[in-house]
Amino acid sequence: MQRFRADGFDEFVAARWSALLHVARLLTGGDRQRAEDLVQESLVKLWFAWPKVAEQAPEAYVRQVLVRLAARSARRRWWGERPVGELPDRPGPGDVSAAVAERSRLESALALLTPRQRAAVVLRYYEDLPEGQVAQALGCPVGTARSHASRGVARLREILSDSARPVK
Amino acid sequence: MDDFERELTRMMREGRAHTPFDPGRRARLYEGIRARRRTRVLVRAGGSALAVAGLSVGLAFLPHLGSGPAPADLPLPATGSTAPPRSGGPTGPASGTAEPSTSAPPTRGTGAGTPGDTPPGTTEPATTAPGSTPSGPVSPPATEPGTSGPSPGSTPTYPPPSG
Repeated sequence: MQRFRADGFDEFVAARWSALLHVARLLTGGDRQRAEDLVQESLVKLWFAWPKVAEQAPEAYVRQVLVRLAARSARRRWWGERPVGELPDRPGPGDVSAAVAERSRLESALALLTPRQRAAVVLRYYEDLPEGQVAQALGCPVGTARSHASRGVARLREILSDSARPVK
Repeated sequence: MDDFERELTRMMREGRAHTPFDPGRRARLYEGIRARRRTRVLVRAGGSALAVAGLSVGLAFLPHLGSGPAPADLPLPATGSTAPPRSGGPTGPASGTAEPSTSAPPTRGTGAGTPGDTPPGTTEPATTAPGSTPSGPVSPPATEPGTSGPSPGSTPTYPPPSG
């Protein structure tokens, strides 16, 4: 029964894990741990819905779940984090690069948007989804999704131009 | 799409790093699935238990809600007053003794009534004093031979109950 249910689930997760993790990271404004938690929770929900959505559009389903979970987790004040004596993830030597710096700048800028604006921008510009699918994933009308995306881009334009301004 | 939007798209896509779905993540994912499944089973079991408890409480209070006379109780006294002949062991002797009592000739010799006008069991011999020897028709009700037997010294003439 379980094997029948999970038929193809492992392959889907193995193929899409990295992309989903990156989307989740953008949706959380660069919070890697929270991104992993969101992907895990989305895939758990997908597993239970797998017999229904496996033949249709599992990626759209999990993307929609991911966006809603990200918006919900952004409203939370506490995500179950506990202080520890040592950092669990230390940056490796290869992470110190210009690409990482740019990614950090982008993630910091994304973190300043509202969750809906961030989701609209990520779905529109990273996933390259049409406005209708963005609205469907956000669960709002197309005009609202378009408004979220345009305001998010305007805010990012402002933040990134400020941070790129040379220090005198 | 202007230059900034193109740059934004590039920045988002360039920062993408390949993260393999290693066995540790797979184990963590399936542990989450098992935990969610246990939660769902518990929630369903709790819901079922609540439903059963609610039904039980409802059924327990249901008779108290309808405390008035039940419709099924009303006809019972009416049927009881007609005194239908009982069926079974104790009624056998009654019917058996009724025949001789109605067919037996009157022992009092009054000749006023024809046999069958008045039930023999309800006439005066039922109140006779002990020591008299009433005949068959004046014997105590044969429907309950065990509980109200003949008075001491009486010699009933009706046959004993059979079968």
